[in-house]
Amino acid sequence: MDKKFLNWTKADDAMVENAIRRGANRRELLQMLMLGGMTAMAGGSIIGRSTAALAAAPVSGGSLKAAGWSSSTADTLDPAKASLSTDYVRCCAFYNRLTLLDQNGATQMELAESVNSSDAKVWTVKLRSGVTFHDGKKLTSADVVYSLNRHLDPAVGSKVNSIAKQMTDIKAVDDLTLNITLANANADLPTILAMHHFMIIADGTKDFSKANGTGAFVCENFEPGVRSIAVKNKNYWKESKPYLDSFEYFAISDDTARVNALLSGDIQLAASINPRAMRLLDSQPSVALSKTTSGNYTNLNMRLDMAPGQKADFVQGMKYLLNREQIQKSVLRGLAEIANDQPVSPASIYYNADLKPKAFDPDKAKFHFEKAGVLGQSIPIVASEAATSSIDMATVVQQAGANIGMKLDVQRVPSDGYWSNYWLKAPVHFGNINPRPTPDILFSLLYASDAPWNESQYKSEKFDKLLIEARGMLDQAKRKAIYGEMQVMIAEEAGTAIPVFISNVDAISSKLKGLEASPLGGQMGYAFAEYVWLEA
Amino acid sequence: MAHFALSPRRFGYRFNVVGMIGFAIILFWALIAIFGPFLTPYPIGEIVDFDYFGAMSSKFWMGTDYLGRDMFSRILMGARYTVGISLAAVMISCVTGVVLGMSAAVIGGWFDTALSRFLDALNSIPSKLFGLVVVAAIGSSIPVLIFTLAVIYTPGCYRFARALAVNINTMDFVTVARARGERIGYLICSEIFPNIVGPVLADFGLRFVFIVLLLSGLSFLGLGVQPPNADWGALVRENIGGLPFGAPAVMFPSLAIASLTISVNLLIDNLPQKIRDRSVV
Amino acid sequence: MNTQILSLVFKRLLVAIVTLLIVSFAVFFATEMLPGDVAEILLGQAATPEAVAGLRTAMHLNDPAILRFIRWLYGLATGDLGISYANNMPISHLIGGRFVNSLKLAAVTALFSVPIALTLGITAAMLRGSLYDRIVTTITIAVISVPEFMVATSAVLIFAVYLKWLPALSFANEVHSFGELLRVFAMPVITLSFVISAQMIRMTRAAVVETLNTPYVEMALLKGASRRRMVLKHALPNALGPIVNAIALSLSYLLGGVIIVETIFNYPGIAKLMVDAVATRDLPLIQTCAMIFCLAYLFLITLADIIAILSNPRLR
Repeated sequence: MDKKFLNWTKADDAMVENAIRRGANRRELLQMLMLGGMTAMAGGSIIGRSTAALAAAPVSGGSLKAAGWSSSTADTLDPAKASLSTDYVRCCAFYNRLTLLDQNGATQMELAESVNSSDAKVWTVKLRSGVTFHDGKKLTSADVVYSLNRHLDPAVGSKVNSIAKQMTDIKAVDDLTLNITLANANADLPTILAMHHFMIIADGTKDFSKANGTGAFVCENFEPGVRSIAVKNKNYWKESKPYLDSFEYFAISDDTARVNALLSGDIQLAASINPRAMRLLDSQPSVALSKTTSGNYTNLNMRLDMAPGQKADFVQGMKYLLNREQIQKSVLRGLAEIANDQPVSPASIYYNADLKPKAFDPDKAKFHFEKAGVLGQSIPIVASEAATSSIDMATVVQQAGANIGMKLDVQRVPSDGYWSNYWLKAPVHFGNINPRPTPDILFSLLYASDAPWNESQYKSEKFDKLLIEARGMLDQAKRKAIYGEMQVMIAEEAGTAIPVFISNVDAISSKLKGLEASPLGGQMGYAFAEYVWLEA
Repeated sequence: MAHFALSPRRFGYRFNVVGMIGFAIILFWALIAIFGPFLTPYPIGEIVDFDYFGAMSSKFWMGTDYLGRDMFSRILMGARYTVGISLAAVMISCVTGVVLGMSAAVIGGWFDTALSRFLDALNSIPSKLFGLVVVAAIGSSIPVLIFTLAVIYTPGCYRFARALAVNINTMDFVTVARARGERIGYLICSEIFPNIVGPVLADFGLRFVFIVLLLSGLSFLGLGVQPPNADWGALVRENIGGLPFGAPAVMFPSLAIASLTISVNLLIDNLPQKIRDRSVV
Repeated sequence: MNTQILSLVFKRLLVAIVTLLIVSFAVFFATEMLPGDVAEILLGQAATPEAVAGLRTAMHLNDPAILRFIRWLYGLATGDLGISYANNMPISHLIGGRFVNSLKLAAVTALFSVPIALTLGITAAMLRGSLYDRIVTTITIAVISVPEFMVATSAVLIFAVYLKWLPALSFANEVHSFGELLRVFAMPVITLSFVISAQMIRMTRAAVVETLNTPYVEMALLKGASRRRMVLKHALPNALGPIVNAIALSLSYLLGGVIIVETIFNYPGIAKLMVDAVATRDLPLIQTCAMIFCLAYLFLITLADIIAILSNPRLR
């Protein structure tokens, strides 16, 4: 890139590429660049570079080494138990889902040929024919029934047990057809089935030391906490995919070490890099960046059933005391989008754009704290490395509080055991929520009165009623209106302050092509292995 | 007494120049630890710069950290934790370890065996697990942090002191003293201790370094020092991302640690000979 | 003399078993004290009360903890290390390769650092007070004052990223030739040597200096023995006890304490395994790792004690 334009970074490159993917035309792009202070001439060359990258024809062959950020002996090839990004990546490489979400968030069919229903209650799934597992067995409806039913068995320990529970009856109709009956109507089922946990495994599978799926890669070696080696599935049912001959995946938990391994050429993809590594990577011609903002957020939870969150004014005050811009600019170095205290991301079609984020206003915050009578008290805020950037966010709020005489006491606790000991439990604490494909899942998991992860113990009959009403609705416009109203309710009434949606940036070797943004998260929604190729 | 000329021997409680320098630096950091909070130009939690890993400037003497906070203020505040906690912990662990080690060597028998095996067992418990258990069981505060550090380093101290004392214990003068019917306390204080004080002090210096470094590891487990405060090791750790740019934010706390630990060891190596070598009076 | 050593070894073996029992119980007790159990940790954010209860039943976690401990002990006695809670694999399978990796790294580091450290320590003691001594002392302290993760990261930046001489990651299982071995081990070994050498150098120097001050060494000097002979023949044997103890303490760090090196170089060893096990409350795995660390430690210090006794005629 031309180094004359110093404030142009790889993140902007990624933005332009994203815009092109979304279908922006040349004129819109030029406008975008002009706003950024670029001359039309320079802009032209950058666009040329981006489109060339996208248009290049895939080449087959090569082996890819990629590194995620966390792995442990609890790594698993069992899709139901997958919990780390590392597990998701492996599951996506070895298995397929019935449906998947494309980069625009629309549902596409994968192993299913169709997923239909007339009343959103009884669904008929027709499977693709001619798909085989790695061991040669043909895919039938029995495999799907087994895969889905596992989530209902508590002994399996499925992560999506609470979502799967609505499937009251899963029955094979014939070899390639099955019926799923839901407890209540839910129009989102095709999207739910696109979640990583609903990968399809062979009927009766109990041993997960090797993966037997229908996916693009065959598992050759898997050592939990160390690495996995996968080789191309020669009988893969998708035309000409995958492009890679082999694919090795492991995790380097140290942020700096992961970037260094990419720079030294030991790996070709370093997932989820620290925003502060940008300055280093920008000077490297051999590295490209891929940015996704997909609805991951770290939020400040104030329990409404405990002091001090019992006083609505404390919660209001904290929402005004959050300096969202500083969190976006200083804590996350611009790799974030400012959020408005509700969990639906701007990328979702149901996002309520009229709901504006609360501006940072210490005076208003002070007014509310005085009203709640908490000014001068010392209030502990629990933060941990376990919730991304929460310690930094906590210090930002703490300092803002100190300036108006509000004493907030940051308590850093070990990430070890954070989710079972502090999250949902401490009166004021941080949480971290991964993107979910639909507002319904978000609301039922996090804000319904009986939600398993009701972070602030928010209870509203009206909210519960709206949730059920929208769930069975097949008319999207009406749904959007209801979801919009619910977003306002959460932002105003719940005790969860959501300052920003955190972007994910993957750094890749410039030889690695085909990596696109996905609404399900970084690394192309963890499914990149099947789609990317290595240029010679 | 013959003095072979391996080193210039000095008499009287006189420091040599190197020892003086070491002492001056320690004194300097001790003063910073006490008065640091009054000298900070900015609140340590305040983000004062939009840039991160900022360079040294007249506004920010030691640059800015990964969030854009003033490093100079953070290091001034960090001195309090690093110097205070490490010194307290190393004192406790060395005094306990050396006293127990000498007692074990002099008393011997079942006392020695039981104590040695117990401390071996203690040393076999991984320090991370130990730290986590302490946080879970007792909670987090500065005294707890000091206690944890002391417990982690006592067995090593004990083992080394015991090994030294066992050797001295077989010497003729100890046997003579024992035959005289001296009490155990006398043997330990007057016969054994003066003869092992050199290596014990060297051990003290090393353990101080280890504790300064382990401190940051334990703070990250949530033990003791809470944000926005940070000890120097934690400052290095949180700013390690600035290493490729040679950011002052990672260099200065490292220099601070090195200056403190090196001075402590220089001071020990250059203590007046009368303190160091009481064996040769 | 030989019978005395034999009886010592035998006594130590007996005591070692008792120590192991104490450690395993202490570790078990410590793990039980940690909040959260394996079912909760595995489910993570998805740990609803029903889900936890279901998984607990399925994993037989509802048995009293002490019963599980005894069952594990019994398994150990019969040579069965048990099954990992976290991933249902046999512990021996999980540990096997990684234990060998850890041993390899420890052995290479020890072979590299012990001779260097001893030489530096002894020569510094011989030339006590000289410029050489001061330089060795200061550099030793300076080197360990730099946090391990900074040494490792700097090494990667210099040798892997800028110079591109060495790989940034050390995959022990891809070593096929001596050249590769050097390339893969170079940076981890240097980093670890930085950490463990200081203690050995300082303690060796201090112990030798102390014995050089004793009357019988001065006597040897008066008799006209050369300095070299004096140090090697007279001072060193008497200083050996503390020195081997310092070496043993330093080396014991090489199995369990190398977590940072394992993380930064992505080296698959057992220190990381232990950390994972603690994080998932995987009791059988924690226990087995703790046993390995404890055994290695007991082996090293017993060896140190034997050498100390052999070197000092009065202790025999």
